[in-house]
Amino acid sequence: MLTEEYRMHVKYSSRQLFLSLPLYIFFFTALFTFGLDILTGDLRLWDLMLMAYGGIYIYGLSVGAFGVLGQTYLERRYGKDNFLISMPFLLPVSFRKVFLGMYLRDVVFYSGLMLLPAFGGVALGAALSSHSLLSVLVIFAGLLVTFLYGMSTSFLISVLFAIDRRVFLAAVAALIVLVAGYGLTGLYGMEIIIPSVGYQLNALPFPADWPLAMFYLVNCAALSVVFLALSLMLVRPTRSVLAGTHREMFLQHLRVFSRFPSRTLLAKEFVDIRRSGLTVRMIFAYIVPLVFLSFTTYYVNHGLNIPVGFNAVFYGAMVGFFGVLLYSWMTNTDLNDYYETLPVRVPQVIKVKLTAFFLLTTGVSTLFVIGISFLNDEWQLLWLALIVLYCTTAYMILATAYLTGLNTNSFFFNPTILTKFTAISLLPDLLLTILSFSLQSGAWWALAGILGVCGVLLVLSLYFYRGIERKWGGASFL
Amino acid sequence: MISRMPAIVVEGLAKRYGEFVALDQVSFTVDEGAFFGCFGPNGAGKSTLLKILTGQIPATSGTAEVLGLDPTRNAMEVKRRIGIVPEVESPPSYLTASEFLRFAGTLHEVQSLDGRIERWLTFFDLKGSEGTLCRDLSKGMRQKVMLAAAFIHEPKLLFLDEPFINLDPIYQRKLRDYLLDLREDGRTVFLCSHILDVAQRIVQEMVILDHGKIVLKDKVSNALVGGEDLETLFLRLVGGGNGLAP
Repeated sequence: MLTEEYRMHVKYSSRQLFLSLPLYIFFFTALFTFGLDILTGDLRLWDLMLMAYGGIYIYGLSVGAFGVLGQTYLERRYGKDNFLISMPFLLPVSFRKVFLGMYLRDVVFYSGLMLLPAFGGVALGAALSSHSLLSVLVIFAGLLVTFLYGMSTSFLISVLFAIDRRVFLAAVAALIVLVAGYGLTGLYGMEIIIPSVGYQLNALPFPADWPLAMFYLVNCAALSVVFLALSLMLVRPTRSVLAGTHREMFLQHLRVFSRFPSRTLLAKEFVDIRRSGLTVRMIFAYIVPLVFLSFTTYYVNHGLNIPVGFNAVFYGAMVGFFGVLLYSWMTNTDLNDYYETLPVRVPQVIKVKLTAFFLLTTGVSTLFVIGISFLNDEWQLLWLALIVLYCTTAYMILATAYLTGLNTNSFFFNPTILTKFTAISLLPDLLLTILSFSLQSGAWWALAGILGVCGVLLVLSLYFYRGIERKWGGASFL
Repeated sequence: MISRMPAIVVEGLAKRYGEFVALDQVSFTVDEGAFFGCFGPNGAGKSTLLKILTGQIPATSGTAEVLGLDPTRNAMEVKRRIGIVPEVESPPSYLTASEFLRFAGTLHEVQSLDGRIERWLTFFDLKGSEGTLCRDLSKGMRQKVMLAAAFIHEPKLLFLDEPFINLDPIYQRKLRDYLLDLREDGRTVFLCSHILDVAQRIVQEMVILDHGKIVLKDKVSNALVGGEDLETLFLRLVGGGNGLAP
């Protein structure tokens, strides 16, 4: 399985490029850690930890979604590839053993590819600066367990998705209620949602209470094992072949989008989105993280009375990043090779996916920014937060589409593209984060700076949009 | 004798993937209205040739013209005028057969599409599976969907890569009869196939490829002499290495 995963990723770039990815992560994190004090400005340790643990948890959630992917592998060709996951139907291997193999494969593969190099980089950066190496080790242990916890949670929820949509929706609703309850009532801390946060708050670099810290860490690890065991117990080797009849949907969408350019492709895109369950995955990957961040911010501001710098403007900028994952899934809903038999070009399909993305998310993201303004009593920042939201989302998604076309997920394992993407995304995000924090003190230059950055992002978005034709005009769907 | 316009002209066509030579200096002409066969063992370069001629991939060198157009530079225009059945049956997973036919027909700007969809669903006996998503259809049914999508706009030129594969004998026969009708109608067909006994009954001219090179280019009636059938000829030309040459 590891060989399969390695070869699949090498296929997207080259052996040398793929193997240089951990090196890239190593040097990037070393540089980031070395310049941490300058880069983070007003951000406090608590904010940084929240971002690190939240980020790793969401990363774990996205990696662990193979309960659904496994089902997809069973149901259709994955490009020209076949995977060992279909072996239980052909060889005397149990389905559970193969799924456990997938879990372990992803733990080893993604820890080796991303987490260990990142840890090495942070350790090097810490050694070269004033940060403590022991603290780095403590944080890394917490992040690793958080990653496993995220993977197990996602694995369990995706298995529920594969076996019963109602149970799946109930599980997601429970998760949202848990996060909302934490944010709105303040009756329990974030360590109830992500136990490893409790570990971190009681370990270095915060004042250490080791027995309590270890209690939380062991708890988080144990929950990961329980979720994994439960997933393996529930997972079913079923193919959803002959999964029932479907009423006509394409013609209906063709009428809805009759005034849109490329209405035929757009109608098909929406049929794909609805029938592939992408809307459900969107709830999981787009709405749940937004809810999570909203209520965390609310609780920290109101529950703990800690004036965290996360305001509606910062939040508007963050939404663009969640959009990248969703766009990536939209490019991976189905194979595209049948387009080669039709008079359709790659840039057309990319632009249709972009249109679908904006139609699908603009309302939701606007509501969230309005919601966060309401939760934090920041109505005066709403107009600015909305401008930031639209500009950063357009910029991030158009940059992603320009760089990766219809193979977003695959190209993010190509270090050349990842470097470009990091450069494109990190600088404006850092600028907007720092400027949004400076808004608290009512600095006029922060407001002017944010509007200036948004203007530049809009111009660059236009550049990327026009570049799609130039870059992908000669590309093939194969 | 009236000379026909060429539908396909190929001159010194080559395709390399790194060191591997998939096609090597391939040249031939297919007249309008001809039923042309392209045969060869696995890996001979048939599908690569078909992909180049249909504008799916570019050639490394040489030239090709399809209906007077360069398929690499004018891929969209070529695809509007031709029908393609690819090597692997891969209709979109989340559309039903009738939705995919509507999708393909709308992209080809077909008028009176409802009638055409009805005709092909009936022809390929897909009406019983009308509400089933393509991903849930059997391989044979998916192949029928791909064939129907290639026929829906009634193109002047058809490129068929293994069209009979996965079809049961009834539909192999039905398809063969339809292709013969197309031949009578003056349409051009470019066929790649391993099912040589069926191909022999419909193909007029052919090339046989081996390791990317043409080893035979002739009319079928000229090539098959002394009662030899296409399979025997094929094995004689390219089966030697496997000890199968008669």
